[in-house]
Amino acid sequence: MSTPLHTEPDRAARQGEREFLLDVRTQDMEVNMGPQHPATHGVMRILVRADGEVCTGAQPHLGYLHRCAEKIGENVEWLQYLPYTDRYDYLAAMNNNLGYSMAVEKLMGIEIPRRALMIRTICAELNRIGSHLIAFGTYGLDIGAFTPFLYMFREREWMMALFEKICGARLTYSYIRIGGVFNDAPPGWLSEVERFCDVFEEKWQEYVDLLMVNHIFVQRTANIGVIPPAMALDFGLTGPMLRGSGIDFDLRRDMPYELYAEIWKAGAFQIPLGKGERGQLGDCWDRSYVRVMEMIESIKIVRWCLGAIEPGPVIADIPKTLRVPNGEAYVGIENPRGELGHYVVSDGGKVAIRCRVRGPSFTNLAVLEELMPGALIADAIAIIGSTDIVVGETDR
Amino acid sequence: MLASATGVAAGETGGNAVDTFLAGVKPEFVPAWAVPLTAIAIGVGIAIALVSVVAMFSVWLERKVAGHIQCRYGPMRVGWHGWLQPIADGVKLLLKEDLVPLGADRVLYVLAPSIVLASVLAAMAAYPLAPGFYFADVDLGIFFILAMTSTTTIGVVMAGWSSNSKWSLYGSMREAAQVIAYEIPLGISLLVPIMVAGSFDLIEVSRDQAGFFGLNWYIWPWVNPFMLPAFVLFFIAILAETKRAPFDLPEAESELVAGFMTEYSGIRWSFFFMEEYAAMFLYSAVGAFFFFGGFESPLTWGAAKAFGDHSVAYQAAAATTLIVKSFAGVFLMMWLRWTLPRVRIDQVMTLGYKYLTPLSLLCVLGAGLWEVFLAPHLSWRNG
Amino acid sequence: MDFRGILDRLKTARVPGLLGADEPRDPNPADKKDKGRRGDPFVWVEPRELPAFLERCRDDERLRFELLVDLSAVDPSKDDPNLWIVVQLLSLAHRHRLTVKCTLPKAEARLPSSVPVYRAAQWHERECGEMFGITFEGHPDPRNILLPEDWVGHPLRKDYVFPDEYHGISCK
Repeated sequence: MSTPLHTEPDRAARQGEREFLLDVRTQDMEVNMGPQHPATHGVMRILVRADGEVCTGAQPHLGYLHRCAEKIGENVEWLQYLPYTDRYDYLAAMNNNLGYSMAVEKLMGIEIPRRALMIRTICAELNRIGSHLIAFGTYGLDIGAFTPFLYMFREREWMMALFEKICGARLTYSYIRIGGVFNDAPPGWLSEVERFCDVFEEKWQEYVDLLMVNHIFVQRTANIGVIPPAMALDFGLTGPMLRGSGIDFDLRRDMPYELYAEIWKAGAFQIPLGKGERGQLGDCWDRSYVRVMEMIESIKIVRWCLGAIEPGPVIADIPKTLRVPNGEAYVGIENPRGELGHYVVSDGGKVAIRCRVRGPSFTNLAVLEELMPGALIADAIAIIGSTDIVVGETDR
Repeated sequence: MLASATGVAAGETGGNAVDTFLAGVKPEFVPAWAVPLTAIAIGVGIAIALVSVVAMFSVWLERKVAGHIQCRYGPMRVGWHGWLQPIADGVKLLLKEDLVPLGADRVLYVLAPSIVLASVLAAMAAYPLAPGFYFADVDLGIFFILAMTSTTTIGVVMAGWSSNSKWSLYGSMREAAQVIAYEIPLGISLLVPIMVAGSFDLIEVSRDQAGFFGLNWYIWPWVNPFMLPAFVLFFIAILAETKRAPFDLPEAESELVAGFMTEYSGIRWSFFFMEEYAAMFLYSAVGAFFFFGGFESPLTWGAAKAFGDHSVAYQAAAATTLIVKSFAGVFLMMWLRWTLPRVRIDQVMTLGYKYLTPLSLLCVLGAGLWEVFLAPHLSWRNG
Repeated sequence: MDFRGILDRLKTARVPGLLGADEPRDPNPADKKDKGRRGDPFVWVEPRELPAFLERCRDDERLRFELLVDLSAVDPSKDDPNLWIVVQLLSLAHRHRLTVKCTLPKAEARLPSSVPVYRAAQWHERECGEMFGITFEGHPDPRNILLPEDWVGHPLRKDYVFPDEYHGISCK
C-alpha cells in the first residue's frame, strides 16, 4: 500500500506503560477483515493494522458489491430504473423507491394524490422500523447477544408479510412508483397495520430491556467510537449518526417532504437525540439509542396516517413511456441510514442523462478511518456495527 | 464394581471385581501383567464413552435450549424432537474432508485437538460416577481435576498458532490470557468448601453432605455464610474457563469467525466441541459435589433407607442425582449463553484480576475465620 | 433562505469564483428548439475557485452550509466537450440547500481538491476521479474506491467502451 496508515500507537490507549517499553517496536500485524466476515454487514474488506489487540489503522476497501447502478440509470428508461433503486439499500427498499420517485416527480412537477402520499408514508415508516430492527438486532449479534436478533426478526417477519400483502414482495418492493404507488392496499391491510403497531409497542419494550440497558451491552458500546459534533459535520454524516452526536436535525422535520410537515404540526412524532446518557455524547450507545427510539416514533407516524387516510386514487396519471422534461433536480429524503439523495438530469428523453445516487452508507463509512485507530479489535466491530451500513448502498 | 482399576497399576495388589474376573478368564498364554492393563483399557473405554455420550446429549440440549429461548423449536426432524441430531452431526463430521491448511504447522495442528480432549479425559479419572463406581480413588481429587483441565489451554494455543491464520492467533491468545486469569478465582473459591470438608477427595466431600434426608448441602448459609458468594465466584470462573458466553471471546463468532477453531473442520473440530461440553459437565459436576451435595439427595437417602448402602439401587440413585445436578449447571450455562452479550477481553481481564481475585481471597479469609472461631461452637456443624 | 436570497448573499459577500446562476424557466415560445428547464436552480462556479467558494459557503454566517452532502460529476453528452462537477450543500442552521456546478473540459479535467474544506469530500472525490477521470489536485489519497486498482477507463463517461476481458474473465 502506498498510502500510510496511522502508525503511531495511540498513547491514550497505552497509558500504564512505562517509557522504555515504547521503544520496543514489534511489527504491527495486518489483519484482513472480510470480504467475507460475519461482522462487516455485507461484502466489504477492512484492512486493519493492529498492535496486539489495539488497532493502529484501518483502511476500508469497497467495490465488492458495485453493480453499476448509476451507469444503468443512463441506459434504461425512467420507469424501468425503479427495481434498481430497491437494491441499493435493500433493507429499506421503500425509502429508496420514494427518493427516486420524488426526484423524478419534482422534475415533472406532478401532483401526487393524497391517499398515495398516506400509503407512501405508512410504507416508508414501516420499512424504517424494519431496517432499524435489523440494525439493532445485528448489532446485538456482533456484540454477542444472539437472542434479541431472533426476536426482532419475528417482528420483521410480520412487517414483510404486510408488504407481501400489499405489493407481492418481501424485500425489494418497487411499490412506490413515479406518481404514487402501484396499487391500492387490499381490504383489511390497514387494520392489520394497526394491529402490528399495537403488538410492536409491547415487543419494543422487550428489546430495550433485553439489550439496550443490559450492563454488558452498555459496557461494550458506551464511550466507544465517539464522534464529536464537529467531526460529524465535517464528514457529512446524516441520519442517526448525526443525531447520535446530539445534532438536532432530521429532514422529515426540518426540510419536510410529502406529508411530514402536516404530521409534525399535528405533534405526532418527536426526533430522538443522543444525549450522552451512558457515556460520552456521540458514542456507539447513543447511536443505537437513537435508532431504537426512532422505531417508536415511526409507529406514531403510522398511527397518524391510519387515522387520517381516506379513500381516493393512488397514482397520478402518467404515460407508460415517460418522457421527463428537460432539467435537473436533487431530492434528499431521510433514509433509515441518513440522507438518501437522488440527483437526476434529464434532456427531455426517455432515458436519464445522469442518475446520481447519494447513498448515506457511503458517506457514513468514511468516518471509520478516523474512529478505528486506538480502538481494540472488539471495539472495531462495535464501531462498524454502529455505523449501520448496508454495503449495497455503499457500493451501489 | 470397577473400583480401583487403576489402583492396581499404582502398585496395589489385591483384588477388585474386574481384576479377579479377568484373572479368572485369562487364557494360559497371556502373561499376568496383561490383566491390569486390560482393566485400565476398559476404564479408559468407559471414560471415552461417557465423555462422548455427555457431549452428544449436550449438543442436543444446547440446540433445543437455544431454540426455545429464541422462540423456535430447534432440531425436530431427526428422531422425536431431534434427539438423533447429534448422531447425524457426528456422521456428517466423520465424512468430512480431512483438511490441513497450507502453511500450517502440521504436527501441532494435528496434535492440538487431541491434547485438548485428552486433558479432559484425564480429568475424568478422578471423577466418580457413583459412590462405588470410580476410575481411580485419588486422594487429590479436585486438585487433580483442576490441574488436568488447565492443560487444555496448551492445546488451544497450539491450535491457534499452528493454523497459520491471524484470526486463530487472536482467539488463542485471548483464550490463554482469559484461562490463566480465571484459574485463580476458580481455585481460591473452591477452597471454601474444601475447608469445610477438610478433604480434596470428591467422594468424601459428597459423603460429608449426607444427612437431613440428603439435603445437608454446603451451600446453605448456616453451614458457612461464605459458601454462597464462593459459589457465585466459582460459577463465573467456570464460565470463563469453559469459554462460554459471556466470556466466549476466544471463539467469538461474530468477530473472529470461530477464533482458534476457524481452520478446523470435521472430526478435529468435533474434538474441540466435545472438550467444551465435557468440560462444562465436569466443572458443573465439581460445583455439584462441592456446593450442592454431590451424590446426596432425597432420592439417594430413600434408596439407602430402602435397599441398603451397598445395593445397586443406591448406586443408581446416587449416579442419577449427580447427573441431574450436573446437567442443571450445564443448562444454566447454556441459558446464560443465549441471554447475555459478550464481554470484551480487557473487561474480562479486569473482572478476573481486579474483582474476582480479591473477592475470592476475602471469601477464603472470611470462611477460614468462621471455621476456626465460630464453627466449633455450632451444634449442627459438630454432628 | 430561498435561492434568490442565497444568491444575493453570495454576491454581496463577494464569494470568490461565482460565475452566475441558472434557474428553471419555461420554454421560450419564439424558439422551437428551446425546451425550457425544470427542476432546481443552481450556481455556476469557476472550477479553480471551488474550494475557496465552498469554504466561504461553510463559514459565512448567513449561508452556513455545514454539510457537504454530495460531490459528483455529470457527463452531459458525447458531443459536449465539458464535464460538470455538481456539489450539493446543506445548511442545518438555516435549513436551506444549494447546488453548485462547475464545468471542466474533458481533455483536461483537473481542479483543486475540496478535502481541506470538507472531509466528506475525500471519498466522493475518489469516486468522481475513477468514474470520470477527473484529477483532484492535492487529494490526500487518490486511489480507486469502487473499482479495482487496475481498471482501465472511466466508466461513467459517455464515450466509455466496456472492456472485453478482465483478468481472463470475458463477457463474450
